[in-house]
This record gives sequence, C-alpha cells and structure tokens, in this order.
Amino acid sequence: MTGPGADRAAKPPVLEARGISKHYGGIVALDEVGLTLNEGEVLAVVGDNGAGKSTLIKALTGAISKTTGVIRFDGTETKIDTPSDAKAAGIETVYQDLALVNEISITKNVFLGREIVRDDWLGRWFGVLDFKKMDAEIRDLFGKLDIRIADIYRDAEAFSGGQRQAVALSKTVMFGKRVAILDEPTAALGVRESKMAMDLVRSLKDHGLSVIMITHNMQHVLNYCDRVMVLRLGRLVAVRKVAEVDGDTLVGLITGAKETEGQA
Amino acid sequence: MSSADSQTGISNPGTSAGGLELARHNFMQIWQVLAALALIYGFFFLMSPPFRSIDTLLSIFGQASILAILACGTTIVLISGGLDLSVGSIFAVVGVSVGIFMAEWGLPPVAAVGLGLVIGAALGALNGTIQVLTKVPAFIVTLGGLTAYKGLAEILASGRDLSRFPDGFKFLGSGNTVPMLIMFAAAILTGLFLTKTRLGSRAFAIGGNEEVARLSGVPVAKSRIYYYMLGGLLAGLAAIVEVAKLNFAMPARGQSYELYAIAAVVIGGTSLFGGRGGVGKTLLGMFIMQTIIVGLSYLGVGTSYQRIAIGAIIIVAVYWDVWRRTAR
Repeated sequence: MTGPGADRAAKPPVLEARGISKHYGGIVALDEVGLTLNEGEVLAVVGDNGAGKSTLIKALTGAISKTTGVIRFDGTETKIDTPSDAKAAGIETVYQDLALVNEISITKNVFLGREIVRDDWLGRWFGVLDFKKMDAEIRDLFGKLDIRIADIYRDAEAFSGGQRQAVALSKTVMFGKRVAILDEPTAALGVRESKMAMDLVRSLKDHGLSVIMITHNMQHVLNYCDRVMVLRLGRLVAVRKVAEVDGDTLVGLITGAKETEGQA
Repeated sequence: MSSADSQTGISNPGTSAGGLELARHNFMQIWQVLAALALIYGFFFLMSPPFRSIDTLLSIFGQASILAILACGTTIVLISGGLDLSVGSIFAVVGVSVGIFMAEWGLPPVAAVGLGLVIGAALGALNGTIQVLTKVPAFIVTLGGLTAYKGLAEILASGRDLSRFPDGFKFLGSGNTVPMLIMFAAAILTGLFLTKTRLGSRAFAIGGNEEVARLSGVPVAKSRIYYYMLGGLLAGLAAIVEVAKLNFAMPARGQSYELYAIAAVVIGGTSLFGGRGGVGKTLLGMFIMQTIIVGLSYLGVGTSYQRIAIGAIIIVAVYWDVWRRTAR
C-alpha cells in the first residue's frame, strides 16, 4: 500500500491538509490530522461523537481558526482563515443545522453573501439586487439538479427537511468551484429523503466537485463514498478505500476495538 | 400597501402565480394589524364625536410622523437582530446641534441639516462599532449611549437660546403635511433599502440567523455598523423635523422616543427577535399607537393613563410575536 501521492503522481490532490490541530485552552480537539482529497472522489469522514470531525471541517473552511496546520489547494499552499477565504479558493460548505436562514426566501438563501446586483448605476452605487437574474439562475440550477421547488420566493422554513437539504447542496454546485464539504447531510432526514440527498451528493461529482462528507451512516459510506477516514478522540486512526472495508471493520476502527494504522 | 411590507416583498419577475401567492402571503401578514387599526379607530369614532373630524385624522398622522421617521431606523436595527436604546438621545444631540448651527453659527439651513444628519449617522455608527468590537450586548451598549448622548446634548445646549430659526428651515416642520411627506419619503426609502438592496436584505439574514449569515460570507460586523448608522441618521432626520416644527431646540426632547419607536415597530408586527418585519408594518404600528393616544385624550383620559395603556399594548404585541414564533 502506497500513499495517495504515488498513484496520482502526475496531478496533485485537489485539497491536502497537513498537521491540522485545534486546541481549546488545554483541550486538544484535533491533534495533527492530515487529509488528502483527490479529484472527483467522495471522501467520508467518520468517527464517534467528539472524535473531531466537525472541528476538522471547520478548520478546513475557516469557520474556526486552527492552532496549527497547512492547507494546500491544487498543490499550492493556501491561507484559509475565514469562511470567505475558503469560498474564494472554491470550497463550498454545508454545515449541519447552519445551512439556511429560516426567515428568508430560497432565492435569498442560495445567494446569501453572494447576491447579484444590477448591472447599472443602481447596482453599483446602491447595491440594488437583480432578482430577475438570481431567479433565473436558481431555476436553471434546480432544473439541472432535478430539484423540484417552484416557490423560490417563499421563506425557507416553509420547506421540508429534504427540500432544505437539497437547496443547501445546490449551493455547492452553484458556487463551489472545486470542493464541497458536507457535515452530515442526512442527519435530520427520513429514509426516502436521505436517499434523495445522497443521490444528489453523488451527482456533485458530475459537476466537477470533489466531496468531503461527515457521516454517521455506514451504509452511506459503503454505497456512496470512494475512501473513508476514521477519527477517534481528535486523532486520525485510519484511511481506507471503501472497496476494501466492510461495515464491521469500520465500526471497529471507530470504537477502537480494532487498532490499525496505515493508509489506503 | 407597498412592497416594503415584508422581506418577502421582493420584486417577483417569476410566474404570475408566484406573484399572486406572494401578494396573498403579504396580505396575510398584515391583515391582523390592519384589522386592529380599523377596530381601534372605529371604537374612538363611535365613542367621541369630535374624534370623527378629518382634522383629528390629520393630526394623528402629523403627530405620528416625527416618531415614525425615527421608527424607520428602529425597524432596520430590530430586523437585523440589534437594538438601539440611544436613538432618543441621538435625537436630542442632533436637535441641539442643528439649533446651534443656525442660531449661533448662522449656517444656512441646508448646511445645518446636512451636518445634523452626519452627526446622527456618526453617533449611531459609534454605537454599532462599540457593540461589534466589544461584543457587549446591544442592550447595554446603547443604554450607555442613551445616557451619554443625553449628557452630551445637555452640555451642548447649556446657556444657549436655541430658537427662532430661518423660514426656509421651519418649512420642514410646517403643518401636518410636510412632516407627513417626509415620513412617507423616509418610509419608502427604508422599504426600498430593506427589500431591494444587498445590504438591506442581509439585515433579515443576520437577524434570522447570524451564524448562517457569517458562514455564508456576509460581513456581519460591518453590516451591523451600517444598520446602527442608518438608525442614527433617521433619528437625526426626525429631530430636524421636530426642531423645525417647534422652532426651538432643547436637550429634553426625544426622551423615551426610542421606547415608543420600539413599541410601534413591534405592534406593527416586526419581530423583536430579528429576521422578520418591514417598514410598512412600522407605519401601521405607529398609527395604531397614535390613534390610541389621540383617542384617549378625546375621551378625557390623561397622559399617565395613556402611558399605562401603551405599556400594556407593548406587552400584548410582544406576547403575540412570541406566540407566533412558537406556533410555527
């Protein structure tokens, strides 16, 4: 078994993180964790509660400041200290429970932080929004992703968990140029809605995105992901190709029943 | 009402079905407030014959207008999940300053008004900046502002006779009509700001869920400073209209205006918890409050009892807001 750099020597990984740590006072939430995301793959991040999964992705996306660590994007070291840095680099993130604002419309949610203003003096001087353009782009996007939401001017809270998640995921296609990071995209969803959301996740590949996904669902790891990394108590304990593991092995790695090192 | 009534009142170039749906949705949001206004007006109309005159109606609008201008700013700040208790004192500082500019410095009205607005905006921005930098709750920061700015107004005014202003300036406060027109202009501009512009529409997102807004790349702190700045600007405008109307300036003016403004905003249906509301609602809330105040005076109820009535209405309005949020 060689490192991921070996089989793709020609092309650097889309995203590479080295030695990412996060300390809260004396508590080490994340201890020197590294990560490699290859072009077009879905990488699962699994681990028990408190393993550091959310801390890892928050550090990757600038939502929290990391204590140590280096992030390389397409082989180039990239400073990611704020959510805006991550977005500028082409990383789009869907946070669990923090994906949409209930009180504003679907249109405004999708474009929140990246609103399109009119291409005239009203837009330039006063930031007057171009609703026509934003609506058209959303309809185009939803058509492409087969998301059936007609009422894009209604407040987000009027929609089901599955619809909301679909909207949140669609933002990664609209804005994520390279990488989509998803924090438990099916956490609040029923069985049927979960499947729809995961099919959407799989289709992100077709739109040129590489995906990092936190999940607790081993079936989703085995069915939808290419590789899986296991965190335990803030440490990286294993990275495997999904084709080479089964559910029991994964659960063993997560709980610590199986102590294994090594990389897939 | 105008599209300024709610955050969903965006221009809707989609299907006409969507437009109708939206109009229905907007109407549902304000019909209760409209019905309350009609009921209250009807009650006084029946109870008091002198209340029925057109002059009374105009004086309700006229008296509401100065507070309503200030309340436009309060609407922006509350929608963004903020709170500014100091606008009544900003009102006093701007009123006194404008008085000094004209009565002592002999500045032309245009310059005095312009400078007054700048001072209002600057004091509002100062509140916002302190709050954003220190992360001390808005309630405390602006409570400090309330006292401090009040002191500033008293220092500026002490020993000065600030009255007898030029006619060109007094025009801004003449009759019920001019203040009313200024009020509608301020309300329309505020409504356009909230519903049509990037900065304004972000107020709803920040008030709804600040963390989501931040993670979405919205510069939350900077935006908040702008909202407080606009709140101060509109408080300044209200002060200018009042000084023009009274033809004198004194630091005691503006006392408790922030509370009346918050009351009107909440009575109108803008959430005290941020994320929802609109300036059309604020005007309705202000008319409700003024109708009650004027109506009660016509029935011979004294000022002290009026205050008790307004206090009770504020609690009912907030209870209603809480109830709506939990019932969803």
